[in-house]
Amino acid sequence: MSHLKAVASRTLQLALVLWAVVTILFLMFRLMPGNPMAAYIDPTFTVEQQQALMAQFGLDKPLWEQYFIYLGNLLQGELGQSFRYREPVAERIFALLPNTLILTFSSLFVAYAFGILAGAYLAWRRGSAVENAAIPLVLMTRAMPEFWLGMVLLAVFSFWLGWFPAGGTRPAGADYDSLWALYTSRDFLSYLALPALTLAIYSQGLPLLLMRSNMLDVMKEDFVTMARIKGLSNWTVVVRHAARNALLPVMTSFAIAVGYQLQGNVVVESIFSWPGLGRELVNAVSASDYPLAQGAFLMIAVVVILMNLIADMLYALLDPRISHA
Amino acid sequence: MHDLALQKPGLVGRLFRSLKLPLSDPFAVFGLAVYATFLLTAIFADAIAPYDPTEILYTPEYELASDLRPGEQGFILGTTSLGRDIFSQIVYGTRSALIIGITAAFMVALIGSVVGLVSGYFGGWVDAVLMRLADIAFGIPFLPFVIVLAAFLEPSIWNVVLAMALVLWRDTGRVIRSQVLTLRSRGYVDAARVCGSSDLKIILRHIAPNILPLSFLYGSIAIGWAILTEASISFLGFGDPQSISWGYMLQDAFASQALAKQAYYWFVPPGICIILVVSAGFFITRGYENLLFPKLGR
Amino acid sequence: MTANLLSVRDLKVSYRVGNGHIDAVDGASFDVPRGSIVGLVGESGCGKTTVARALTRVIADNARITGGQILFDGKDIAAIPERQMNALRWRDIAFIPQSAMNSLDPVYTVEYQLNEVLRRRGGLSAREARIRCEALFEMVGIEKGRLRDYPHQFSGGMRQRVAIALALALNPKLVIADEPVTALDVIVQRQILDQLRELQMMLGISVILVTHDISVVAYICDRTVVMYAGRVAEAGPMEAVLTRPAHPYTMGLRNAFPDLAGAASGTLTPIDGAPPNLANPPPGCRFAPRCPFAIELCSTESPSLAEIVPDHRVACHRASEASALREIAARTETWLAHA
Repeated sequence: MSHLKAVASRTLQLALVLWAVVTILFLMFRLMPGNPMAAYIDPTFTVEQQQALMAQFGLDKPLWEQYFIYLGNLLQGELGQSFRYREPVAERIFALLPNTLILTFSSLFVAYAFGILAGAYLAWRRGSAVENAAIPLVLMTRAMPEFWLGMVLLAVFSFWLGWFPAGGTRPAGADYDSLWALYTSRDFLSYLALPALTLAIYSQGLPLLLMRSNMLDVMKEDFVTMARIKGLSNWTVVVRHAARNALLPVMTSFAIAVGYQLQGNVVVESIFSWPGLGRELVNAVSASDYPLAQGAFLMIAVVVILMNLIADMLYALLDPRISHA
Repeated sequence: MHDLALQKPGLVGRLFRSLKLPLSDPFAVFGLAVYATFLLTAIFADAIAPYDPTEILYTPEYELASDLRPGEQGFILGTTSLGRDIFSQIVYGTRSALIIGITAAFMVALIGSVVGLVSGYFGGWVDAVLMRLADIAFGIPFLPFVIVLAAFLEPSIWNVVLAMALVLWRDTGRVIRSQVLTLRSRGYVDAARVCGSSDLKIILRHIAPNILPLSFLYGSIAIGWAILTEASISFLGFGDPQSISWGYMLQDAFASQALAKQAYYWFVPPGICIILVVSAGFFITRGYENLLFPKLGR
Repeated sequence: MTANLLSVRDLKVSYRVGNGHIDAVDGASFDVPRGSIVGLVGESGCGKTTVARALTRVIADNARITGGQILFDGKDIAAIPERQMNALRWRDIAFIPQSAMNSLDPVYTVEYQLNEVLRRRGGLSAREARIRCEALFEMVGIEKGRLRDYPHQFSGGMRQRVAIALALALNPKLVIADEPVTALDVIVQRQILDQLRELQMMLGISVILVTHDISVVAYICDRTVVMYAGRVAEAGPMEAVLTRPAHPYTMGLRNAFPDLAGAASGTLTPIDGAPPNLANPPPGCRFAPRCPFAIELCSTESPSLAEIVPDHRVACHRASEASALREIAARTETWLAHA
């Protein structure tokens, strides 16, 4: 199985990328101007107190030693203490991860379902007035700042029409027995609606344009013409042959889109006060809570890199030319 | 004299022609027109804007001119909660948007093209190293990276440009590299080498002119990316408070309850401007793609 | 029951190109007798593939059948509604494409693609379809274990066999093979052609074999139709047309191809010049500009397809002098001097 070997080498390659990103992150947080502790050391502290604090965070050691301590800790899943919350960064991040993933995946499912259908439709209607109007419009949605779209949706649907709440994940004072109860509650869905819609409107352009251009290419393929000569129904020709083939790269792009979406989440979560990784990163950076910022950044990077790997594997899995080589 | 000029177009003319501007595509022409309009606005901002964008204005009755609706007291797009003229801010915002957009695009296109050229032309370990660097750049979440960078460095519009130069050359680099590989596989590069041309000469004379449109294409995409990124960064409060940008305006509006006040005149125009500039880049790009890769069709 | 399974009468197909149009097929007429292999031969761009596709009525988006009749089993299938035409496709008229690589869907197994026509078009049950799949594979000489393979897992020759199996799946009356062996090397070409001939005789079907290679026609066909610039130049029994060609184009074509059997038949002489631009065809005979025997009449009046001896038709003003012209045409200088 040369296929397994390819996956293994790709995994190794991405592991090296991850290591490089981790190292860049370390250097960024240590070598940048300004003592990372400055914000947390009260000027009234005695020199001994300051040094004790530095020692507590391991900042008194030489850089290379700090680096190995940092790597060792990472391997054990140890991300340090948050300055601000005085609690382990890992715990805080894993508590926020589900919120971010729910937002990301729900918006992307909507975006892909819409984008694939609309893209196939536009390919079918190519050259029509609908298509001529739709393509520039779709390009414009890609040109929108996500947070601005969020602002407009908030102003209209929340502040003006009052259909949806303005931010957060639950009504003030509401309490749920479990996370499951929260995520399945009606309230949660109404809180999810606007941020997910914002991200979905922004994200639909990629699958739509990709699906459309793939369909146009595939429709010119000989096997599609042959399917017509075989007298197969229009539905069979378009869906089973053209769309099935055009879908391959679109499905692969889903994994890549998850990675991009996570970056876009940073602003949209901030707008909607959505307690996720992106908002936490922004807050942590603003508050100079470096361990937390570093952890959130790392988590996002891990998901981005992981998604690149999944994209490769998905493609190999879905395309028999690779999986049955 | 005139005939002579036609025969030997100057360097500018030749450069312009080798960009192969997609002038037959109506959308691309629209995009170029949008660019031209914003460019003129940025250059003549002082003459166009009625007020200083940061000046706090008062009504003739000596009251703070805050939260005025469009047209009230002669303010075309109204005023902010702090009594600043929104229209003037939009006009000056054009300046920082274009400065950031164009410099970032230039950096991305330049670095990406150089990396792609060197990587594709020389191959071997140079190629391997550069492409691994590109892999690493692909592993860095861009917006979080800019946020962290902006937080450590002095607030400045150049942070976005720096971050883009550090990370976003990856896409351009890869595409240019594969284009160079295709060009190299054609006979004339080998022919030039047999004739004793140096590597530098071959790159400059035979390969660079062929990838220039591609660099320009990725440059136009990068303009949009830079403006969107700057807007996001300013919106999150990591921008330069001294310079007025569209992202700063949106942040100001959001923080000043413009949404609850239903002050659409405040936060809609900056968004429209961003969409116009960024989509102009997309339209030009699309025109290019039709021109460069006609087989893609439409 | 008519003697001819298919009779094409004055078929016209035109492509819309920009604001104008090109008559790629401009009045083609020929017959396909039952149980025979008819070779449709000509240079690329002569309209032979367009004719083949027009017979299925699955043509390019910008193409249209603008005139003529396609009498299949006595019924004009150029005029019937699309629904009725679709019912005929694959059940009565099947197609073997030039490149089986591109014409098999890469994401489905060969079995899936056979099943698709057997069940969706043939109405077979899952069990019947499985038995039929195995029978078809046996027929074209591929072991049935390979049914579960994907198209890319087959070699070029094997894929072409799969394409033949697919074409025969529903026992069609007519199989149109569009350059079925062009992409293959000579040895595999012969194997595939032998197999096609064997199956055609066994099943008693008719085959239209579209090719640019006159040696393929010589190897396998019963009859041949020579096309030039959208029109039929000459048509008749293969032996008669190739040994006693009456059209100068056929004479030239014969000089320009090696024997499929590999036997050297003197030097190869190409016909000088290129076919006319069909957007603006020359008046008169379309071959006249390249014809070493053209007379004044040829460039003003278009010759019609006429029977010179029973069952042998030719469109040439000098058809009556054919035997004399043949002798001159056999000399290489004739074609060189003209240049």
